Amino acid sequence: MSHLTNTIRGVAFAAMTLVASSAFAQQELKIIAPAGPGGGWDSAARSIQQVLTQTGLAKSVQVVNVTGAGGTVGLAQFVNQAKGDPTQLMVNGITMVGAILTNKAPVTLDQVTPIARLTGDPLVIVVPANSPIKSVKELADAVKADPAKVTWAGGSAGGADHILAALFAKAAGSDPSKVNYIAFSGGGEALAAMLGGRVTAGISGYGEFESQIKAGKLRALAISSGKRLANADVPTLKEQGMDVEVVNWRAIMAGPDITAEQKKTLTETVEKVVKSKEWAEILKQRGWEDFYLAGEPFQAFLKEEQVRVGDVLKSVGLVKS
Amino acid sequence: MDSFLSLGQGFLVALEPSKLLFAAIGVLLGTAVGVLPGIGPALTVALLLPVTFKLDPTGSLIMFAGIYYGGMYGGSTTAILINAPGESASVATAIEGNKMAKAGRGGPALATSAIGSFVAGTIATIGLAFLAPWLVELAVNFGPWDYFALMVLAFVTVSATFGDSPLRGLTSLTIGLMLGLVGIDKLTGQTRMAFGVPELFDGVEVTTLAVGLFAVGEALYVASRFKGNPEEIVPIKGSLWMTREDWRRSWKPWLRGAAFGFPIGALPAGGAEVPTFLSYVTEKKLSKHPEEFGHGAIEGVAGPEAANNASAAGTLVPLLTLGLPTSATAAIMLAGFQQYGLNPGPLLFTENPALVWGLVASLFIANAMLLVLNLPLVGLWVRLLAIPQPWLYAGILVFAAMGTVAAKPSVVEVGMLFVFGFLGLLMRRWDYPVAPMVVGLILGPMAEAQLRRAMQMTLGDPMVFFENPGSATLLSLSAMALLAPFVMKGLSRFRTAED
Amino acid sequence: MMSLLARRRADKRALVMGLTLLVLSVVVWRDATAQTMSATYGIGPAAMPYLIAMALVALGLGHIVVAFRDGLPVPEHADGIAIGWIALGLVALLLCIAFGAGFILATTILFAATARAFGRRALLVDAAIGFGLGVAIHLLFSKLLTLSLPAGPIEHLF
Repeated sequence: MSHLTNTIRGVAFAAMTLVASSAFAQQELKIIAPAGPGGGWDSAARSIQQVLTQTGLAKSVQVVNVTGAGGTVGLAQFVNQAKGDPTQLMVNGITMVGAILTNKAPVTLDQVTPIARLTGDPLVIVVPANSPIKSVKELADAVKADPAKVTWAGGSAGGADHILAALFAKAAGSDPSKVNYIAFSGGGEALAAMLGGRVTAGISGYGEFESQIKAGKLRALAISSGKRLANADVPTLKEQGMDVEVVNWRAIMAGPDITAEQKKTLTETVEKVVKSKEWAEILKQRGWEDFYLAGEPFQAFLKEEQVRVGDVLKSVGLVKS
Repeated sequence: MDSFLSLGQGFLVALEPSKLLFAAIGVLLGTAVGVLPGIGPALTVALLLPVTFKLDPTGSLIMFAGIYYGGMYGGSTTAILINAPGESASVATAIEGNKMAKAGRGGPALATSAIGSFVAGTIATIGLAFLAPWLVELAVNFGPWDYFALMVLAFVTVSATFGDSPLRGLTSLTIGLMLGLVGIDKLTGQTRMAFGVPELFDGVEVTTLAVGLFAVGEALYVASRFKGNPEEIVPIKGSLWMTREDWRRSWKPWLRGAAFGFPIGALPAGGAEVPTFLSYVTEKKLSKHPEEFGHGAIEGVAGPEAANNASAAGTLVPLLTLGLPTSATAAIMLAGFQQYGLNPGPLLFTENPALVWGLVASLFIANAMLLVLNLPLVGLWVRLLAIPQPWLYAGILVFAAMGTVAAKPSVVEVGMLFVFGFLGLLMRRWDYPVAPMVVGLILGPMAEAQLRRAMQMTLGDPMVFFENPGSATLLSLSAMALLAPFVMKGLSRFRTAED
Repeated sequence: MMSLLARRRADKRALVMGLTLLVLSVVVWRDATAQTMSATYGIGPAAMPYLIAMALVALGLGHIVVAFRDGLPVPEHADGIAIGWIALGLVALLLCIAFGAGFILATTILFAATARAFGRRALLVDAAIGFGLGVAIHLLFSKLLTLSLPAGPIEHLF
């Protein structure tokens, strides 16, 4: 008797999960990667595609690359084409928040439906191994004494690296608009400038500088996330008395005007992706930090981030107030 | 000596039958995808990366090496055959290569680029194996002031050789520089010359301009005179293979191309374009047949193509020794390493020597395989030119459109292709050289960014260019290149050139 | 004959070119003055545009001088109809992408129109070849390379 009920329960449970997971099992999903193939957003989109199809959460998933203007070209297209369509998603991140402002984009993130934040890679502040600067405090003192003399190497102007440099200067008691930030295209060139000792400090994703730090060619002063990385003994900025936290996060969004029901289904699907072992495997492979956040808290986070990035970009003069 | 031993062990790894198979598949896939216009080596590697997921690290990296070299090679085939360079580094190859192809010398053009790629690739891979640690020191110490001086040298030498009217050559170059302004300024994030069109924020794509001016412009031009003065395309005239004369004229350009390509490619911001242009200019200066340049001189294919491939190997120097991705392709290669938890960099050689040396060895093998694969294909490729002209040019336009749309599927991009195509027609009819415009678009933004970085680092002190030995040397070379013709032949020659 | 004419009247093409360059220089200059931000250190984003604008002025004036002296080389006769056919094909490509008619249809028209420009009369045969080429390219991109070319009604059949 009890055996039978167990079996029935089991079957019913299996049927239920089947129903739940098959919300898109019969449908084709489309994920917009608003950047070219090979970059961070593209690999995030293709990773989600991989997990969705491997786990059978969706019948087929197509990744479409729409390049241009820090993702705002892709965003504009997405706002147009995904209106009310629950089968379209878009990957984005903190860079897009900045790009919308610096490029004066006609569309904003308020027009899309945020689903979830997925990953968040910390940035690291480094100095060349032979630099006289040994700690965050010494760097902060140098910035305060003469911001012009402290040259920063990092990624594109207005990106996460630049934002961190500006926030650092502000926390150090200096004027963010005086930060001598030198934007490089691509991590390689910035790293070369660091190794050649031509700049005072450098900022990049931790992963990009990791092997140089471990080889002792660069000295990591601090990472920018709220807590330390599991595999690296680098203190956070907050631990060292600088109240600054910047994380290069990536998130996934749905189109405008989808129903609450559709949004719920999408959120659940994304949650299943994030909780899958395939996703865990991808995070490990790519060295991404899990930074999952969905629903109301994510929306609140996104709002805060938009305000904060806007303030920083104004303070460095990239956006006119 | 140590390196020799390690390389020997590397060959033992790479010569295993299964590894050879991976290399062969990689070379085949890389060439096949690389041939498609608009899909350069970076996109080729990005697209084929997932294919390698399932293999073991060594096998997958070996396949990677094959894809990388194959993709580099594929771009030059379209440049020669249909005047549609797949990437900016093939622009210099297209200039003489397509002229050769149309004159029935496509066979020797493809052959010299295949063999030149092999020779230069092999030399550069030897350089990678033995000079990497030394070269990388040099590369890291190359500052923005040195890059700027290098760009100045490239500008000066290149602009001295294009066309027979300085006025029209400079006009073409300046319009190229103007197009280079379009988009977000790298250093401040400000948009320039984009007129509020978001699709223009990332600037004008070099391949769109090159394909528009070269392939579309050429098709329009040939069509415009088809009735009265039809162009003759001879698929094969004389030998399909390189004659003794071709060999004699090719081997020095191969070696010089490698000498330009490898060290500049190893520089973190050197790129593949500068060495190809420098090689083209050098070959034109040194050639015993300078009058053939512009009409299909084999040196003008052999040199730049060798430089292109050598720079591809040069890119691997900072990638393997420092973990520095210095090109889009290298950045994707880095992602490929990381999918196995491998971090290229100072530690890779000591932590995982078998893998590194296996990779270096497989680069040699991939290179040899490319040669074996491509030489027999030459005959096949050349026969494509035997297609009746209406279909040939229709096909060229379809491929040009495909390349543009595949890279950036937007109306603005196709619109630019259209405008550049008609600009190319106009320039051909009014006798303006088209190549300087592409050169301006490529070099202008690089030179500007490096100059401004230099000024930002030194807080506006221009003396830095003269105080650094590297930039001082390069700038004096540029000054010499600029002044030499005047000093040698006097101002009278300049006046006749103006006429 | 030609040189006599050139001396009596300015060369129109060189004049047009010169004026175009001057107009371009104004566009570049105005865009540079519209830059709201200058670099805190070193050289700002407007410096290079000013330099290029000045170069354009010099080249524009150079062309105008040339217009009154030797003029530009005289081009040979051009077949406007042939150019028109290719332009038609390219405009069709543009419209197909703008209005979502897809890449295959665009290829079909572009191929047929270009072949027509080169003197072929079998428009339907050429369209069929262009269609076949388009389908092959579409399948290659979508199935093998997982890249998406602009899709329209025809693409959705595959």
